Amino acid sequence: MKFFPGCMIHNRYFGIEKSIYYIFEKLEEDIEPLYNFSCCPAPGITKSISDKLWFEIAKRNLNLSDDDIITACNGCFTTLSEVGSTMGREVRHVIEYLYTDKIKEIKRKIAKRIPLRVAVHYGCHFFRPSIHKKFVSSEKPKILDKLVKVIGSESVDYRYKFMCCGGGGGVRASSLEVARELLEMKLRGIKERNVDAIVVICPLCLHQFDVGQKELNQLGKRYEIPTIHYVQLLAIAMGMDIEESGIDMHEITPPQFMEKLIRGESFEEL
Amino acid sequence: MNELKNELKKCIQCGTCTASCFSGRVTALNMRKIVMDYLSNERSVDVHDEIWFCLSCYACQERCPRGIKLTEIILKARQRITRKKGLPGRLSLALNSLKKFGALVVAKEEHVKMRKSLGLPLYHAQFDEKARKEIEKLVEKYSEGVLI
Repeated sequence: MKFFPGCMIHNRYFGIEKSIYYIFEKLEEDIEPLYNFSCCPAPGITKSISDKLWFEIAKRNLNLSDDDIITACNGCFTTLSEVGSTMGREVRHVIEYLYTDKIKEIKRKIAKRIPLRVAVHYGCHFFRPSIHKKFVSSEKPKILDKLVKVIGSESVDYRYKFMCCGGGGGVRASSLEVARELLEMKLRGIKERNVDAIVVICPLCLHQFDVGQKELNQLGKRYEIPTIHYVQLLAIAMGMDIEESGIDMHEITPPQFMEKLIRGESFEEL
Repeated sequence: MNELKNELKKCIQCGTCTASCFSGRVTALNMRKIVMDYLSNERSVDVHDEIWFCLSCYACQERCPRGIKLTEIILKARQRITRKKGLPGRLSLALNSLKKFGALVVAKEEHVKMRKSLGLPLYHAQFDEKARKEIEKLVEKYSEGVLI
């Protein structure tokens, strides 16, 4: 399998990539970087310019290798799976892959349980548009809730759980204030449930929640809820060092959260 | 495009789209009204600048009981706006960086250092001149006169 990180993971959230390589090593599965890939390209922004541009750049990426492609970004997943379907190519999202093919094996490879209360956020393009995403409900997905349970965390429901992070469709780039207002609606719903962290499966959502909170801090609005990609959490539960996961490069990292990640709950204590 | 416009005629004005729209909670985006404006006044979707507030979350499209491809219609309308007025906000910077680096989010020196410190290779098109040229050509060929 070839890993397609997309711009956000390759150029900002490298910890997600490091975590994926670690997980695949533990699962004894091959994964290699897809060399010379470009922007997928981002569906909302590129399709606002030209369908052909969107299609042709995606096609170039898919033609870089004959192998199946795996990604950890919802935008890349949507673009590459839609264009890939016209070329007979399989493209998978790492979360769908872990859930469908590897959930039993993950259970056996957990080195320490991490008992957190978390708010999971799917991100729109993991389950919509549903045409090439038949593995998941287009209304109320449960895959991620089940995956966080595997590592000993509890997924709690909250207001606006299945709604957008507020950053998609080019809105974060074109209308930051709108993105910020929507982010706050999500954060207020999450804050009510008193969670340790927000678990995402897309680097754009991660950016919106994490950097978005930093921007809110500058406006005197403090939420202080850390955000982590599921693969980072899983890799730590499988035994990876916290520093390798890249979580300390995120903006919002309260010490009590970092402590919980480090300490976990080893099986001897149970 | 006419095919998509004909789809709008299937609308029964039930308002499921607007009720599903997260962006519409805080912006002027109201898909039911935009469709109504087309049906009764023949005003095209692209006269509504508020479609730039669409998050492309696809909730309206997925839930439309008439199966109208609402999100696709918004994206098509945006294409017509970009040909007339260019891209709003920082989106034109994004297209520029796609053309120049093959990336919407470009790595700076600090990110290169951090990748190296984690032992990760640099394999984005941004770091390969040949790949960069390929993308540049695709953007020139297919951005169809959009004002960059």
